[in-house]
Amino acid sequence: MEITQTQHDDLLVVHLNGRLDAHTAKIFEDRLLLLIAQGRQKILVDFSKLDYISSAGLRVLLLAARKLSEAGGKIALCCLKPMIKTVFDIAGFSAIFPIFSTFEEGQAVFGVVTAPHTHN
Amino acid sequence: MPTQILVVDDEPDLQLMISQKFRKQVREQVLHFEYAISGVEALQKLQSHGEVDVVLTDINMPEMDGLTLLAKINEQYPLVKSVIVSAYGDMSNIRTALNRGAYDFVTKPIDFDNLEITLNKTMQAALTHRQAVRDHDQLLALQQELEVARKIQQSIVPRKFPPFPERREFEIHAEMIPARDVGGDFYDFFLIDDNRLGFVIGDVSGKGVPAALFMAVSKTLLKATALKGLPPEECLQQVNRILHLESVAAMFVTIFYGILNTRTGEVEYANGGHNPPYLLRVGGHIEALAGTGGLVLGAMRNTTYQAKKITLQAGDGIFLYTDGVTEAVDEQNEQFTETRLEESLQRSADAFLPHVVRNTIDAVQKFSNGAPQADDITLLALKYLG
Repeated sequence: MEITQTQHDDLLVVHLNGRLDAHTAKIFEDRLLLLIAQGRQKILVDFSKLDYISSAGLRVLLLAARKLSEAGGKIALCCLKPMIKTVFDIAGFSAIFPIFSTFEEGQAVFGVVTAPHTHN
Repeated sequence: MPTQILVVDDEPDLQLMISQKFRKQVREQVLHFEYAISGVEALQKLQSHGEVDVVLTDINMPEMDGLTLLAKINEQYPLVKSVIVSAYGDMSNIRTALNRGAYDFVTKPIDFDNLEITLNKTMQAALTHRQAVRDHDQLLALQQELEVARKIQQSIVPRKFPPFPERREFEIHAEMIPARDVGGDFYDFFLIDDNRLGFVIGDVSGKGVPAALFMAVSKTLLKATALKGLPPEECLQQVNRILHLESVAAMFVTIFYGILNTRTGEVEYANGGHNPPYLLRVGGHIEALAGTGGLVLGAMRNTTYQAKKITLQAGDGIFLYTDGVTEAVDEQNEQFTETRLEESLQRSADAFLPHVVRNTIDAVQKFSNGAPQADDITLLALKYLG
């Protein structure tokens, strides 16, 4: 799995590419916890290039949401492929995470309204 | 800590020359030398100084010669590397020494630059060897840890089938195949009273010992709560509140819990984030059980759950599974999927219940075709006989 970051004002976007399973979840966890420890309050996770998520990946998102909420921050997700959306629906995660079908909607919830984004 | 070298020689000149040649390394605590004048004394020092890395020994000595000493070191201190000092051209002793496990040799008269190179090379080998042993031990510990996780998991689920041979109104069968890393799957079933059978399947997020422990807590809590006779949604609510307190690092568990009324065939169930089970209708029709839309347990403190009811006719069954089944992959990383699971169930819908379970496992394993099993595979099937 590949993780990249882009910055849009004070919003940090984390782009996931590949498979988020028991092995790669640890990398994702370390990255998110580091960002939160550095004081990041607004995180949008871009799922557009993620092909698979296991329960270990869901756990990391839940952990990040807890930490962010303690710190007064917020996490949102966008662009989930149908198979991944199904996983969220079954686990009941669709009801506890703000999920947006497009990147622009995801940005807008953090008050960022900008021109098209660029990946690094 | 300095590298420890034990020098064994019955003549004092070697000791004198070494302490001069290496005085800088000794002062800087890179090297530490111990000295012995016979094989016997060398063995005593090896015993009292546990951390000797390299032994430099002469061959001809009183009491116990260098070759005998070598054999004993090789046997008792396999991590210690030895260098022997022999007479120039004494090929027979050098050959014997190498056969007895000496790492290298130097010849008399000793060239001290050569000795330094040889000692450095030998120390490097000793340190590498020690590191390899440490790595190996860590790996073994890790494997033992996984073995512990597997034992927790295997010992906690009921494994005696049929579990209620005296009951004619229903059959139940389950099987679990743990992955190498041990996921946190479990299943359970129990009689709440004469007319009510509770049945459960669950899957903890993550792997290894943490998942196995959380699984054990979840399973025990659920059964203890269920045996109070609570309806499924209240049972999940109570278990969730307690698990949320126990959930370190946002661990959670998916749980499907159903209660079969063995007199009427009515099933009441609630689902906390688990894959929806299948209804196996008599005659072979298969459908997914209507969802109840609940969140996984342990994620949020105040979660509420909804229950649904369905009535089984004599011969109808319910099939529960974990995502290790549908997400099993073949060599091309293609998933087994619900579609293949449904096809497999269709083929064996009318079979004897343990065969329904077995046939599904066979179908998954045939599909995987030797690709590594990434997650636990767990199946539970129930049939109402009327």
